[in-house]
Amino acid sequence: MERMASPAEFDQMIKSGELIESPNEMTPEYLRELKHTLVVSGDTELISAPAYYLAAKRAPSINAFMTGIAIIQDELAHAHIAYHILEDLGEDQEALIFSRDPKSFRYPYAFDVPLDSWTELVVANGMYDQAGFCLLGDIHEKCSYGPWKRGLNKVMAEENFHLRNGRTWMKRISQAGGSAKEELQRAVDWMFPLSVEWFGLPDSLKMHSTQLEFRLKGLTNDQLRQWWLSLVVPYCEQIGIKVPSHKETRDGKDVWELDYPFPCEFDAAEKRWDFKQPISWDDVLVRWRERGPRNAEMVAMFQEEFHKFRKAHHQNGARR
Amino acid sequence: MPVNLVDLGVIYGIKENDGVVDVDLTFTAMGCPASEFILEDVRERLLREDGIREVRVNVVWNPPWTVARMTEAGRDALEAWGLAV
Repeated sequence: MERMASPAEFDQMIKSGELIESPNEMTPEYLRELKHTLVVSGDTELISAPAYYLAAKRAPSINAFMTGIAIIQDELAHAHIAYHILEDLGEDQEALIFSRDPKSFRYPYAFDVPLDSWTELVVANGMYDQAGFCLLGDIHEKCSYGPWKRGLNKVMAEENFHLRNGRTWMKRISQAGGSAKEELQRAVDWMFPLSVEWFGLPDSLKMHSTQLEFRLKGLTNDQLRQWWLSLVVPYCEQIGIKVPSHKETRDGKDVWELDYPFPCEFDAAEKRWDFKQPISWDDVLVRWRERGPRNAEMVAMFQEEFHKFRKAHHQNGARR
Repeated sequence: MPVNLVDLGVIYGIKENDGVVDVDLTFTAMGCPASEFILEDVRERLLREDGIREVRVNVVWNPPWTVARMTEAGRDALEAWGLAV
């Protein structure tokens, strides 16, 4: 067996761009941070399945429904990639998925707010999947853990398909005009700021990132948020949908500014932001920790079936 | 997928008459999740050609598509992408 690297040697491996291939090579701190990052990724992919499914049921055609279902299947496979790697790192995949308290799942708050229509689903594909694309694209490019970096090849190709569904439908609905376009604008109005929040604390409040230090990712929260804005804002403007952000040029560089206080108050039941009500990041963290309206329902969707099945299976086994 | 519809072998026929194009096209599977995008792409692309004012896409299932319908270039592209064909 390989000798474990000293912390200094390990640090040098990370800095030189080498890939880490097995737990034997890791320091305990690296292992802990890698696991945490994988749990967030796996949980996010997993929870998107029930979130999207509850809305895909309202697809306007059988072809559209098939696309929705294909996306859900992709998301489950993406979750499995993350949990499978966690298993290789010593975690119990079954326990992670089926035995955790709903509130302990680590996915973005946005998924806790119900997607109630096909329109909201395609905006999620256009905005939430774009956020996932930026976060995972960065990891795919920069991640120091080889197995995850390679696992993301498949994920990135498929996320493109989800984005395509979101963008194609957003354009189509906008072109239809009238009440369809109004519904689209309403969805964007509450989903845009939730996606902006997705990338977490601004760099000014987050002085130190262990994830960056270990090269688990390559870009800071604000850099990722800017990347997302640079993709989403021009597209929305191009299809005639208003978003509360604009571009400024500073020192010859494009910077995307938000036209509302960030962060600010959100009413999840009403799906409404109060741009007149700035809040602190501590307030946001409280909302995130308490989780939103659909958290328990979505986790129950996969956990209850699992336990029901297991119970029935064991009873049958006992009778035989 | 990094392969065009012609090299994939799903375009069965194309006719143009007085600015109206008829395309016979199939899918690689009946439950193709990309069918909506493909139909829209074909229509959008052909309408960009000079003198084309209408595009009619007919989805046909006979003869069924098989990998044998792919061109050499299509096969190479998919293999380079990691799919065995």
